[in-house]
Amino acid sequence: MPDWREVVRQHLDGIQLAENDVAEVVEELAEHLEDTYRCNLRQGVAEQAAAQMALQQSGNWRELQRKIESSRKEELLMNKRVSQFWFPAFVTIFLAMLLLMAIETIGPKPWISPARPLRMTPVAVVYFAWIVTLPFIGALGAWLSSRAGGRPRAVFGSIVFPVLPYLGFFVMGLPIAIILDDKVAHNIMLPAFFVGFSAWVLLPAIALLAGGLPVHFLFGRSRV
Amino acid sequence: MIGSEIKRGTAELAILSVLESEALHGYEIARRIEQETRGALRFTLAALYPMLYRMEKQKLVQGDWETSPNGRRRRCYRLTVAGRKKLTPLRREWAKLFAALNRLAGVLNA
Repeated sequence: MPDWREVVRQHLDGIQLAENDVAEVVEELAEHLEDTYRCNLRQGVAEQAAAQMALQQSGNWRELQRKIESSRKEELLMNKRVSQFWFPAFVTIFLAMLLLMAIETIGPKPWISPARPLRMTPVAVVYFAWIVTLPFIGALGAWLSSRAGGRPRAVFGSIVFPVLPYLGFFVMGLPIAIILDDKVAHNIMLPAFFVGFSAWVLLPAIALLAGGLPVHFLFGRSRV
Repeated sequence: MIGSEIKRGTAELAILSVLESEALHGYEIARRIEQETRGALRFTLAALYPMLYRMEKQKLVQGDWETSPNGRRRRCYRLTVAGRKKLTPLRREWAKLFAALNRLAGVLNA
């Protein structure tokens, strides 16, 4: 009896799948061919002819390889997306929010500017203790994404993910509030926007990138 | 375009139908389909397995490795809840299509 695993392996030589996947596919197709071969034998076909028939009945191998690659690759792509972007991104945002909550609850108190606000002057509230921890969180996000083989875009996204809710607020929430809420003082909106944007988006993003980018350059794709 | 869509739809309905009553491995799925359609539908490896993998990804079927009493490891496919749910409307759609074709071209009397 032919070694069907070897036969399948040879026919699917160069298939672009993960090693585990290839092993599973080879085993499954080999079992199928063996069943076809045995069935041919039961019908009275000679051994060599039965093997030939089983191979002929299997169809076009090139087409099979292409179709298997396309049907399984999307799954690989999904797994990659999760490990290279979504997982690191959610780790960074979870840790950043947890730390911010802890600092807001137990201190230290935020730096508030200006100390004696003038009327109609926007106030910046900056949690420096939180900002100081962000490079470490950015570094963790970059390391997780780089380790999974993430491309620069995925690594960058994982690093800055914690500031996205604030970015969303300043880019979408605030303009909508200005349009819809007539009680919002429109004359302080532009300075408030820049102060808030700097304190809650720009500064944290710089802190996250300060920790994340060096880690990405150290543990980037070339080392994976 | 239509040809490949129809082929895919037919294959999907055929696989879901044979798995409705019991879990089967790939070879058995192909054999049952061929047997029950009296040879009208035949699945080669190139047609069957990519379709099974795609349906598994869509969570319509679930494949699990099982070892038979004679020690052979086989991947058995069974219908998932989603697959079972999909079967009824799929049958209805095909029935509608056949009825429409029949009205148009008299395919059932051919």
